[in-house]
Amino acid sequence: MSNKVSIQRLASGVPGLDELLGGGIPEFSFNLLAGTPGSGKTTMAHQIMFSLAAPERRALFFTVLGEPPLKMLRYQQQFPFFDVSKINHSIKFVNLAADLLDGNFDRVLARIADEVRDYQPSLVFVDSFRSVAQSAQSMDGGAASLQHFVQQLGMQMTSWLATTFLIGEYLAPEAESSPVFTVADGIIWMSQQVHRDALVRKIQVVKMRGQAQGLGIHTFRISDSGVDIFPRAMLTATASTVSIDGGQRLSTGVLELDKMMGGGVPAGYSLLVVGPSGSGKSVLATQFLAEGVRNGEVGVIAAFEKSPNQLLSHQLNTLIESGKLGVINTRTLDLSIDEILHDLIVMIRHMGAKRVVIDSLSGFELALAPSFRDDFRESLYRMIAVLTAMGVTVLMTAELEDRYEMLRFSSYGNAFLADAIVMQRYVELEGQLKRVISVVKVRASDHSKDIRFFDITSDGISIGHPSTQYVGILTGRPVPSPAVSGI
Amino acid sequence: MAIKDERYQMIERNVMRHPEQITADAIAMWNRLAVELVAIIGRSGFDTLYARNIHLVRARHPWLSDGNDPDFEQLKTSLEDQETAAAGAAAVDLLTTFIDTLIQLIGEPLTTALLKSAWSQDIADTAAKEINNEQ
Repeated sequence: MSNKVSIQRLASGVPGLDELLGGGIPEFSFNLLAGTPGSGKTTMAHQIMFSLAAPERRALFFTVLGEPPLKMLRYQQQFPFFDVSKINHSIKFVNLAADLLDGNFDRVLARIADEVRDYQPSLVFVDSFRSVAQSAQSMDGGAASLQHFVQQLGMQMTSWLATTFLIGEYLAPEAESSPVFTVADGIIWMSQQVHRDALVRKIQVVKMRGQAQGLGIHTFRISDSGVDIFPRAMLTATASTVSIDGGQRLSTGVLELDKMMGGGVPAGYSLLVVGPSGSGKSVLATQFLAEGVRNGEVGVIAAFEKSPNQLLSHQLNTLIESGKLGVINTRTLDLSIDEILHDLIVMIRHMGAKRVVIDSLSGFELALAPSFRDDFRESLYRMIAVLTAMGVTVLMTAELEDRYEMLRFSSYGNAFLADAIVMQRYVELEGQLKRVISVVKVRASDHSKDIRFFDITSDGISIGHPSTQYVGILTGRPVPSPAVSGI
Repeated sequence: MAIKDERYQMIERNVMRHPEQITADAIAMWNRLAVELVAIIGRSGFDTLYARNIHLVRARHPWLSDGNDPDFEQLKTSLEDQETAAAGAAAVDLLTTFIDTLIQLIGEPLTTALLKSAWSQDIADTAAKEINNEQ
């Protein structure tokens, strides 16, 4: 039995943030919300405040210098979380500009202490702390008195049982902020970076006393509804909950292909379908999803090839309308893999999906913000690991330039990521462009080595006879094999 | 009737309630409004809003004195020098113009909430009621 003090964790109200913090905001903690200008610090602070504030849990928001409070109120109320009815009931704004300008830190401290004593808030926000720090530099013994100020403030707020956020504008986690960094129980770092033409927002929990925060840098988005964080690396959280029957196979919806693969796609595998444009990759992906639905297995598709309003085939639309197939919104060209992965995981859990299609990797890469493309392989690896660990079977398509002098399975060297690979190609035969299909790899399983002709009919993929009477299929210009022609 | 007209009438009613003390009532309303707003938007934020307000309203009431007026002393003097009707009209104009500006900046609901808080009992109760009824 333990008599340790139990730290209550407050739900921040910011999607994804609690997970990053390791369960929520520790009650009575003293936190620094730091970042570059325009990175969303004030927005997130407001989101937290409006979400948590209630008559029995009041919030005090001190504005110092920087953004004029009128502007802040004008813009922040555009967000749905801004609830006017809470102002002056459970939320109070206090401007400290005058106290800082003509006074010293002691005066600011005293003013904060007075307000806190009068209002007895459970939450205190100071926006922005940078302006306090800058004032410190212009004063005698600046750094020392800043440290004193921060320590005093931290002590006072904790004594008043107030969970506190200092909002600070920093270009980089630099030395001048170190007194704050030392005193703070939690440090959340927000930034925005422009690479090529795309803006990417990132968030990192640098420090969080007493609990295991989500490590690493995560992406977030500021939408019409506020800050939305997409925590990465959810593998550990989900891996233990899934067990897969090793022998279980999923039908691709193409009977002959199932046979070629040794009985279907092993459950929990990632299957890469490669082929040139128009070879039937999306058709196969659609059949894979339809077959799942036919067997009561819900599917999710992330389609990057087409715009949402001309989305997909009639067959896919029917599946979507039936509610057995979820579609991931692939929106804009500044996505992060974490955002897609987050959306996928939410939808897979929500729908209880067993089959996932990503169509295609090339389109996916294009939809990412340029700064993420450098890490595409690594991120893809993580994404596939997370998805397959959830027990879903993933089918990815990849466009392959049809070059006959060489055999490649993806333009990124991603083929090793896949547990199974199916290849589609064109060959020229008797004045016609024919399609062939072959199973290149099924990890830990027997599979056919045949190269088979196939057609795309109104019923989908129809696989024909093996092409054993020809040689040189992979050159694109096969000729009848000597044995056959000799007959 | 539009909310704006309602608000105008509410302010007019409160300013003109006791014709013999229009100046005192108007200054009292300004003081309470200032306390409420200075806490939130800072002294300088309030002062610049107020200075612009005087500047605008002077076009219609040229005898109002321009410039910084943190304690409303100049306003008090200006109003006291006028006849009741002229003082009342200017006082109403000043308050309504100021509140319209505030609404443009931070919206009707938030402005109403702040007015309620500033002029709580006697004044804002009616104002809030009227405005809320309209909504």
